[in-house]
Amino acid sequence: MKSIHFIVNGKERTVVCPPAKTLLDVLREDLGLTASKECCGKGECGSCSVLINKEVVCSCLVLAGQAENQVITTCEGVGLSPNLDVIQESFIAEGATQCGYCTPGIIVSAKAFLDEIDTVPSVDEIKTALGGNLCRCTGYTKIIKAVQTAATKKISKPETIG
Amino acid sequence: MLVSEIDMITPSSLSECLTQLSKEGRKHRLIAGGTDAVVRMKEGKWRPEIWINIKNLKELRYIEESKDFIHIGPLATHTDITHSPLLQRKADVLVDAAGEVGATQMQKMGTIGGNIGTASPAGDTLPALYVLGALLELTSLKNKRIVPIQEFIIGPGRTVLKENEMITKILIKPQRQNEKGIFQKLGPRKAQSISIVNVAISLTMDQDRKCVEGKIAFGSVAPTIIRARKCESMLTLGPLNDELIQNIAKIAWKEVMPISDGRATAAYRRDMASALLERGLYRLIRRWENQ
Ligand SMILES: Cc1cc2nc3c(=O)[nH]c(=O)nc-3n(C[C@H](O)[C@H](O)[C@H](O)COP(=O)(O)OP(=O)(O)OC[C@H]3O[C@@H](n4cnc5c(N)ncnc54)[C@H](O)[C@@H]3O)c2cc1C
Ligand code: FES
Ligand code: FES
Repeated sequence: MKSIHFIVNGKERTVVCPPAKTLLDVLREDLGLTASKECCGKGECGSCSVLINKEVVCSCLVLAGQAENQVITTCEGVGLSPNLDVIQESFIAEGATQCGYCTPGIIVSAKAFLDEIDTVPSVDEIKTALGGNLCRCTGYTKIIKAVQTAATKKISKPETIG
Repeated sequence: MLVSEIDMITPSSLSECLTQLSKEGRKHRLIAGGTDAVVRMKEGKWRPEIWINIKNLKELRYIEESKDFIHIGPLATHTDITHSPLLQRKADVLVDAAGEVGATQMQKMGTIGGNIGTASPAGDTLPALYVLGALLELTSLKNKRIVPIQEFIIGPGRTVLKENEMITKILIKPQRQNEKGIFQKLGPRKAQSISIVNVAISLTMDQDRKCVEGKIAFGSVAPTIIRARKCESMLTLGPLNDELIQNIAKIAWKEVMPISDGRATAAYRRDMASALLERGLYRLIRRWENQ
């Protein structure tokens, strides 16, 4: 067992756990952050996606000891009702979620993607960015639409500094 | 060994890491991005006593140019490679290949050192490194040696790396002005799939579709990556017109030595190796002519 410190969704957190426990299990079991889901457990589906220092990764393949002192953002950190992020609002507006299992992971991936771009992305660009996130319900059409809607909103109303 | 019993050490410098690697009488293994390591840990295949975590060892994450070589730190991620203007200009085939590894999450986390360390016959950056004549710097506490990539990998998952060594640098020869490369991959689906066959090509071109020198390396069609020497020798026979390209592709069918496995049969792999090479040559020439 090791005492491991991270910054999760803006808060300093310390957990005591085996260093080879996955970050996903730490988030869900030790920190009670259950938005990130386990599905394949081997990097293929993206339902466990979180940001480490703003980069999207599969938390089922990151060991807790490797995430030590890093800045981690889960779907809860992207936004919680009533303070939802524009990407989350767009998912609701477009009806881009059905069973919802994939949704937190897709929100996180889409958030990272939107933060990197400054033009409204093409369907192909969105497909590439979200290629690591599987959804078995929606058929993706509405997910892609939601990302485009969010991108349009973000670009027409850029966040002002200060 | 249970996962909960595995310890982890995070060295804060390369020298500390080499000291850890030199310790005998225990089972340890390096972990970089963990995209291969954690999958294998979960499968029960890799259960070291200690993970030596190098993910955040900043001194091994760089891409630089010197007079004769491009130097890539083993911790450069696939995203670092695809975003590097230097590699885009002088190692286009590697940029192509890194862009085909898994999907976004794997490219952000997975490293080139890890792709080489795993030494999978399907590893996507490997054929690109073969055609770029990559040299690997292997370092232990007391020694440093340079090994060409084709001598480093000796079988599926097998390398000449010693217990106390690690890859500390990847050296590649920058492409010349008139050298263009391409990487082609066939997987079961577009994103996030292990190659059924892949091929890296790099050609030095002259006027009128003439090739002065060319290199071709296939993955997933033999226990290690292979250079297609017969195909290579045909590249310079004349202008790369339809007839020559199709003949080269036919020879590729004979030159590869695939096996059947869960992903594809040997016959399918042969057909696809031939088709990928043909398609790759056409696309590469279009790139050269449109630049
Ligand atoms: C869902 C999924 C999809 C994937 N798709 C692809 C794909 O399309 N193409 C592909 O090629 N690969 C693919 N991979 C495999 C993997 O992502 C790559 O091989 C990646 O580059 C490994 O890098 P890493 O940093 O994660 O390695 P790790 O898992 O950290 O390490 C892998 C091995 O290399 C060793 N190692 C790491 N660094 C060094 C070093 N500096 N010196 C010596 N040894 C070292 C480790 O000890 C270990 O044995 C995929 C993996 C997953 C989970
Ligand atoms: S649970 Fe992590 S990628 Fe599927
Ligand atoms: S909404 Fe059910 S898996 Fe995506």
